[in-house]
Order: sequence, then C-alpha cells, then structure tokens
Amino acid sequence: MNCREKSPWIVHFNCNSCNGCDIEFLACLTPIYDVERFGIVHVGNPKHADILVVSGAVNHRNVRVLKNVYEQMPSPKAVVALGACGATGGIMADCYNVLGGVNQVIPVDVLVPGCPPRPEAIMDGILQAARLLNVHQKDRHAGAEVRLTLQPVSEPEKV
Amino acid sequence: MHLYTFLSLLLIFGPLIFGLLVMLAPGWRYKTPVIVLSALTIMAGGILLALQGPFTLSIDSGLMKALPLIELLILAIIIYIGFAIKKMLIIGLGILQLAIGLISDMLPHSVQAHVPTLKVDLLAVIMVLIVSVIGPLIVMYAIGYMKRYEVHGPEQMRSTGLFFFFLIGFLGVMNGLVMSNDLKLLAIFWELTTLCSFMLIGHDKTEDAGESAYRALWINSLGGAALMLASFLSISASGSASLDELVAVGSLLPLALICLAAFTKSAQLPFQSWLLGAMVAPTPVSALLHSTTMVKAGVYLIIRLAPGLGGTRMGQVVAIAGAFTFALASAMAISQSNGKKVLAYSTIANLGLIIICAAIHTPLAYAAAILLTCFHAISKAMLFLCVGTIEQGIGSRDIEDMEGLMRKMPITTVIAIIGMVSMMMPPFGMLIGKWMALEAVIMSPLVLFLLIMGSALTVVFWSKWIGRIQTVAYHPVYKIEDVPFSMFATKGVLLLGIIAAAAVVVPLFKRVISPMAMAMFSETVVTSRSWDLMNSASAFIEWPLFFMLALVVPVLFLVVRGIKKSHIRQPFLCGENLEGAKTTFEFRTLMDKGESARIRSYYLNPLFGEAHLTAWANPIAIALIFIMFGVISK
Amino acid sequence: MIMIDPVITALLAIFAVPFIGAFLVGLDRKLTARMQSRIGPPLLQPIYDVIKLLHKEPIVVNRVQIIYAGLHLIFMVLCVVLLALGQDMLMALFILAFSTISLILGGMSVRSPYSRIGSQREIMQMLSYEPILILMLVGIYLINDSFMARDILASGKPLLLSLPLIFPAFLMVMAIKLQKSPFDFSTSHHGHQEIIKGITLEYSGPFLAILEITHWYEIFLLFFIITMFWATSIPVGLLIAAVCFFCEILLDNIMARLTWPWMLRFMWTVALGLAVTNVLWLYI
Repeated sequence: MNCREKSPWIVHFNCNSCNGCDIEFLACLTPIYDVERFGIVHVGNPKHADILVVSGAVNHRNVRVLKNVYEQMPSPKAVVALGACGATGGIMADCYNVLGGVNQVIPVDVLVPGCPPRPEAIMDGILQAARLLNVHQKDRHAGAEVRLTLQPVSEPEKV
Repeated sequence: MHLYTFLSLLLIFGPLIFGLLVMLAPGWRYKTPVIVLSALTIMAGGILLALQGPFTLSIDSGLMKALPLIELLILAIIIYIGFAIKKMLIIGLGILQLAIGLISDMLPHSVQAHVPTLKVDLLAVIMVLIVSVIGPLIVMYAIGYMKRYEVHGPEQMRSTGLFFFFLIGFLGVMNGLVMSNDLKLLAIFWELTTLCSFMLIGHDKTEDAGESAYRALWINSLGGAALMLASFLSISASGSASLDELVAVGSLLPLALICLAAFTKSAQLPFQSWLLGAMVAPTPVSALLHSTTMVKAGVYLIIRLAPGLGGTRMGQVVAIAGAFTFALASAMAISQSNGKKVLAYSTIANLGLIIICAAIHTPLAYAAAILLTCFHAISKAMLFLCVGTIEQGIGSRDIEDMEGLMRKMPITTVIAIIGMVSMMMPPFGMLIGKWMALEAVIMSPLVLFLLIMGSALTVVFWSKWIGRIQTVAYHPVYKIEDVPFSMFATKGVLLLGIIAAAAVVVPLFKRVISPMAMAMFSETVVTSRSWDLMNSASAFIEWPLFFMLALVVPVLFLVVRGIKKSHIRQPFLCGENLEGAKTTFEFRTLMDKGESARIRSYYLNPLFGEAHLTAWANPIAIALIFIMFGVISK
Repeated sequence: MIMIDPVITALLAIFAVPFIGAFLVGLDRKLTARMQSRIGPPLLQPIYDVIKLLHKEPIVVNRVQIIYAGLHLIFMVLCVVLLALGQDMLMALFILAFSTISLILGGMSVRSPYSRIGSQREIMQMLSYEPILILMLVGIYLINDSFMARDILASGKPLLLSLPLIFPAFLMVMAIKLQKSPFDFSTSHHGHQEIIKGITLEYSGPFLAILEITHWYEIFLLFFIITMFWATSIPVGLLIAAVCFFCEILLDNIMARLTWPWMLRFMWTVALGLAVTNVLWLYI
C-alpha cells in the first residue's frame, strides 16, 4: 500500500540521550528541512504513530518506558534508532546502568549512524523505515509479527 | 354507575384506602403483596381510564356542600402543625387561608348544573396516565429501597407504614387534582399535596429534614393562599368556581394568583429552595415529587390556564419568568457536585421550560409543553431511582465519588446513562420538545435569549456527569451489583418505557399531540406565523434519522465484536503505566512509587456558584412576579 | 440540488462531501506550510493519512469508545444530509451539537487524564459557541420567516447584508470548530504535543480515521454555512468562503494559544454581544 509510505507519523522517545540527536531530529521539522513534505508528522503520542524514533542508550530506568511506548503503537510499526548510542550504547555502552543499544529491548528496523547524525540522514532513515512498514504489514497478516513479552525488568542494583 | 365514574373514584380514593391497608399491614411479609397489588390496581385503573377517553362528571350539590367542611379540616391540620413545630409563619398562613375560605364559602355561589365538577379532557387523561403509571412504579421501587433504608438508617426513620400511606395516597390526591374542574375542590387537593409532601420530606425526623419540611410547607401554603384568593375572587366576580369559566372569562387577577400558586408548587425562582431542601428525603419521595406529582401540579395548572394567558401581557411576563428560571437553574446545576441537587436544578429548569411553552400559547408551544411534561416525567423518575440505587450502593451522592461506577454497578450505570442521554440527545422526546420550544418562542426575544443560554448550559452538566460515571478501565472486572428485585425491575420497566417512547415520539406527535393542539386552537385566533411553525414542525422528515440509526447500530455492534482482547491496550501515561493496574489512573512516579492521577470536572464556581447566583437571581425573580401583577392594571 | 430525488441528494451528500472536506484540509496544510516558508505536504495528504489509518491495527482502551466514535460520525453525516435535503436548520444544528457531545463522551469514557482534560475543554468550547450558532439561526429566521434550509437558499437577498455582525461572530465559532489558534484547547489541528492531542489521544488506527473523516464533513458544513450568507450568487458565496478560509489560516499562524477561561469570556462578551446586537435590530 502506497499510502503507508506517504504518511509516516512519528513519535520521538529520548532514552537517556545527550540531546545532540534530539536537536538534530528537531531540526528536521524546521522550514529548512521540512519533513512534512513527505507527509511526516511528529505526533506526540505512540497511539497515533507509525514509527518510533529513539535516541540514546537504553538503561535500567527507561527500558520499561521504552517497551510500554512501543507496545502502545498500533501495528504495522517500525523503529528508528538514532546515533551511536541508539545503535550500541555508544560511549555510554560500558556504564554500569546501561543495557546497550535500542535493539536490546525492541526490534529496530533502521539504525541511523553518526554522533549526532545529520538531519538529512535522519530523514533518510525515517523514509526507509516507512517503506519497511509495508513488509511489517505483510508479516502481520501472515501472523509473523514480533510481539514483546512484557516482563518486569530486573531493578538496578543499589550502589 | 358508569365505568368512568367508578374509575375516577378508584383513582382518587383508591390510593388512600390502599395506603391505609399498607399502613395497617404488619411486617414486610404482608406489606409487600399489598403494595404490589395496590400499585398494579392503580396502574390498571389509569390505563383503563385513558382507553375510556375524555369525559366529564358532575357531583351532586349535596356532596359539594361537604367541601367546606373538608377544607376546614385540612386547614385545621395545617394550623395544628404550625403549633406543633412552633412556627408562626405556618400558623399565620393557615389562618389567612382559613379566613379567605370562610368568606368565600359565605358568598352566594350557585353550583350550576351544566358545569361539571370533574372534567377529564385529553390533557387530564395524559396527566392521569403519567401519575398512575409512573407513580406506582416508584411506589414499588420503594419496597426494596425502604427495606434497606430501615436497616441502615437510624432508629427514628422506621415509620415505614406511615411513609407508604402518604406515598400511595399522594397518587390519589394528584389524580384528584388533575381531574377537578371546581376551584374549591382543586384547592382541597392542592392543600393535600402540600400536606403529603410535608410528611414525606420530614420522614427522617432529623433536624435537616424538619427544616426542609417546614420550608416546603410554608412556601406551598403561600401558594395555597394565592389559590384560595383566586377562587374567592372568581366566585365573587362571576358566581362560579369552575376552572373553565375562569379561563373563559379571562379576568387577569385570579389568573395571576393561580400562576403564583403554580410557581410555588413548581419551585420556580424564587421559590426553588423547598425543592432543593426536599432532597433530604428518601429517594422514592424525590422521584415522586420531581417526576409525576407535586411539581407537575403547578405546570399542569398553567397549561390548563394557557388559553387565558395567551396573547396577554401577563402571559409574556409569565413566559419570561419561566425562561429566567430555565437559564438560571441550568447555570446553577453546573456548579453542583451533589447528584441529587443537579437533578433538582434540572427539574426546576425543565419546569420553567414547560411554563414558557404554556404561557406563549401557540399551537407548537402547546404541543411542546405536553411532550415535555410526558418525557420529563419518565426520564426524571428513572434518573432519581438510579441515583437512589447508586447512593445506597456507594454511600455517596457526590458526582466526584461516582468515578469508576461502571465497575461497581454496571447495570445501574448503563440505565443511568441512557436516562441522562434521554434528557438531551436524539431520538428522545426531551430534545424534540426543546427544539419545538425554541421555534415556538421565536417572536419573544428575551425569552428566546434565555432559552438559548439555558439549553447550552444544560448540555454541560449532563455531559460532565455522563462522562464521570461511564469511564471504563482497561480490562475491567465488572461486579454485577446486588440490588433488590423491586428496585431493579421498576428501573427496567422505566427503561423500556423510555426506549418505546423514543421509538414512537414522532408518530405520537403527529397523531395525538399535534391534533390535540390543533383542536385546542381551532376557535382561537392565532397568527399565521405560529401555524406555519406548527406545520413545518409536523412536516419534519424523520426517516433519515431512523434510517441512519438502524444502519449504524448493527455495524457498530459488529465492529465492537471484532475487537480482540489483544487489541485492548493501556491508556497513554507517558509510558509510566503501572503493570497490572486495573483502574489505570495510576502511574509510576519517582522512586518507583505508584501514584494516582485525578481529574476533577469543571464546576465553574466563580461564574455559576449557587450562593452568589441565587443572591441576585432571587430579587430579579421576585421583581418579575411583581411585574406579573403590575401589568394586569395596564 | 433540492429538486433532485431526496435519496440521490442524500447519497451525494454522504459520498461527495468528505472529498471536498479532505481537499480543504489538504489546502489548509499546504497554505500553512507556505506561510511558514515550507513546501508542505501534497494536497492529497489527508486522504493518504486516512487510508493508512484505516489499515492499521484497531487498538482501543475499551470497547465503549468505538461506539462514541461511530455516533460522532453518524450525527455529523446526518446533519449534512438534513441540510442537503433542505430541512430544518435548527434541528440540524442540534444534531451537530450531539456529534460533538458524542466525541466528548468518547473522550471521557477512557480513563486517561489527557483525554479527560481535552474533553472537559471541549465542553467549555461548546458552551461558548453553541448560543452564537443558535442566535445566528434566529437571525436567519427573522429575515426569511423560515427555519428550512431550502427556503434560505431560495431567498432573494444575501444574508450577509442583514447579518453583518453575526458573520464575524460565526467566523470566531468557526475558528473553534476548526481547532485553530487561539481556540485550539481540546485538541489542536497542528500542535500535536499540546496535552498530547487531548480528546483524540486514545483513538488510534481506524477509529482515528473515523474522527478525521467526521472532521472533513464538519469543515464542509461550516463552509457551506458561510456560502449560505451569500446564497443569491454562488460564485460570490464561494469567494467569501475562500477569503474566510484564508483568514482562518492566517489567524492560526499568527496567534498564540490562550486559555479556555479567556475563550469563554471572549466568546460570551464579544461574539455573543455581536450576535445579540444584530438580532436585536432585526426584531425592532
């Protein structure tokens, strides 16, 4: 279905990022980059969104929130992880409280590299994810959809 | 003896006898069957009378001679009550009425043979039907309610026998009131309704109840005095005490006095305080007072007098007073969080609306008044019964406490929601009535403006309340409430009644009420504009509405059925939902503590607060009553 | 239009109107983008959005909200159909109000704080514009002696000349109904983060699409009423509607959002004052 590619609505979730990726992401919305020309709308909540854009590394505190937000998105849905932290945990990877990249917790479709990635790269990532939505829809009809099992996350150790 | 003679005697005196039987029956084991049987008898009598159609009945003059004695007796009781509760106001009003009564009895007043004492026209038939079909349902509801009330209430509340005597007797008194055509007889029934309501409101014998009962008594006695004075004036002027004659002669002073009496009984501003106070009584009493009896007596009388009011300056002022009440009572209802008070203000507002329609007196307005009277009675009765059940269920009548009611009492909640929806949304009759009222008052700017503001305000408090009780949690666990059969069944019957009424509202309007209004106006001169409005309202095409609803209901049903359990997700709380939370307002906050979000409704107290709105509304309403009397002399 | 068989008219109204509405929404987004020196989405973007939403997973918080979404749509369609059939305008406006009430009740049926706040604000919006809409009809009645839409369309004199003050009041009402600044409290057409879309927050997938389609009907309805102010000549009416459309978008882009108590005060003093003044001179 073509319409799905033409109207990817995104929700942005900041997982402990240093705000570098977030600023670049918000730059996409400005008149210079104008993502709305692709039909991209930055909605404020997961219930309306197709694509979850995550910045930053996942840690023990926010893993629950990330899963919850992902769960509340209606299928078909895709995930874009921004920057080095989103991919692997980046320079935070070895921190005592960090679990790693976003794909440790939810299935990621597109990784946008960079620290921070340029707005053009972010836009490209989102549009690629939008094309993947069609694949997810087919999977959904075939019953091959990825579903999270929401189990209580182990609490961080007290230091 | 004709069937209708028997039926009218049954409907007027039957309830008194039944009430006496119930009072004398020992224990619930004997009381319950007697109550049910008498309620069913009254209901059957009412329906039979309606099938019988309009009739008139003359009582021979020998019996009529006894009327002054009965009147004397009732007034003596009122004065006795005044002494018993040590209120000078009651004694004074009682003596005033006594004096007027005695003087008017001494006047030479010929009972003309051709003027019937009881006159049951179509309007009266409709009223009798409302009283003796909805009334007995409320009485039957009271069985279950009072059983619980006795158990939970304090010791002094347990005079249940007397309570049922007045509750059932009230129906007979009200039937008598709507049937009587003789002002003397009318006044007697009028005083009896006042007495009944005094006893019922004071049932709990608490300080609060006593205060409210006293207020109801003095305000309604004031109305009674006005009615007595009207009958005295009418007799002294034309020698006849018949209501028909009074309307036909159209002398304005007695009409204005009767309007004043109707205002007190229908709790119009500035007399609203007694009806608000009456909320302390057990809920069946409120249901009875608000829907079928008491307050409806006032508006009934004004609809009855409408031909005398129509086209006069005084009629205009009465309409403005009604509209003022409608707008202000609706505004005050917004600021209330007490469920019963919201219902009370809504009743006051709707009575105001009916008064507007009656006083405007065009065919469309007349039809609207009758429609509103019927539909208001049935919807309001059901709503009160629901609030009564809810109050016993959760121990509070505060709307804020009704949050999550759907989980605790799903059946009652659904019935209550349908009841509230029937007060404002299509295809229910109240909306049709309001629509017709708006079109009918189009040529009276002030009334129209108040009506517009009032109807916008009405929507606010209903939708707030519906929203509060209907919220459904995520994966809710419903607990079917434990409600006595009598309380459950009566609400069920009323619910069916509401739905049936909604289905037939358009045919009912076109077949019964519209011809009734046409016949009413066949001899009066009305402007062509009011006929145009009537005709265009009658020509309203209802098929798209019903077609759409018929189409949508099954589709929606299918969609709802198609939702799987996995499609149900938690509401959005910024990702901080508590796992396993059932009420879903809980979210996780700092240190992983669970905390509950709470959203109160808007009550707009600075704008619509009861105290400061009443402070300036009552003087205006009093002024309007003075103006009503003032314009007579013009 | 009224001369044709009523069933055909009704069907035409049901099926053609949403496309006009969608086009207007697309134009709105395009114009807004241009005012912000952006390129903006394609003109058919609203249609893409809705088709996409219709194919999404139907997730809900509870089943009750679906019923309210359905009622929201159906009352709106009914209102459009009644107008197309030339029926009683007052009844049509009542039904329009019930469409909004259904939306409010749907928003309140879910236990979600944002949705609840949005619904309460929507109630306040209704409270502030409802009297003005009815007063507008009163004004129209006083000129045409009829509440029927067909009589108003057939009247020989442009309404605008007799209702010069009600017209701006209606434009303010329209700004509320179109969710435009400074009146976008319950949910904003553009600001998606404000109370997280408020009243529509808990609707997703196909149910959000239903709300969007309803909005298309509503937009058409509002501009239809605007056109009605100059019903004697359709091109002039359309021109007026176009100017109003542009003004609403301009207003949206230059105004900040204010608070709902401000809106209530503003609408009940300025807008209601305008409407009452206009109606008063029609009575005299």
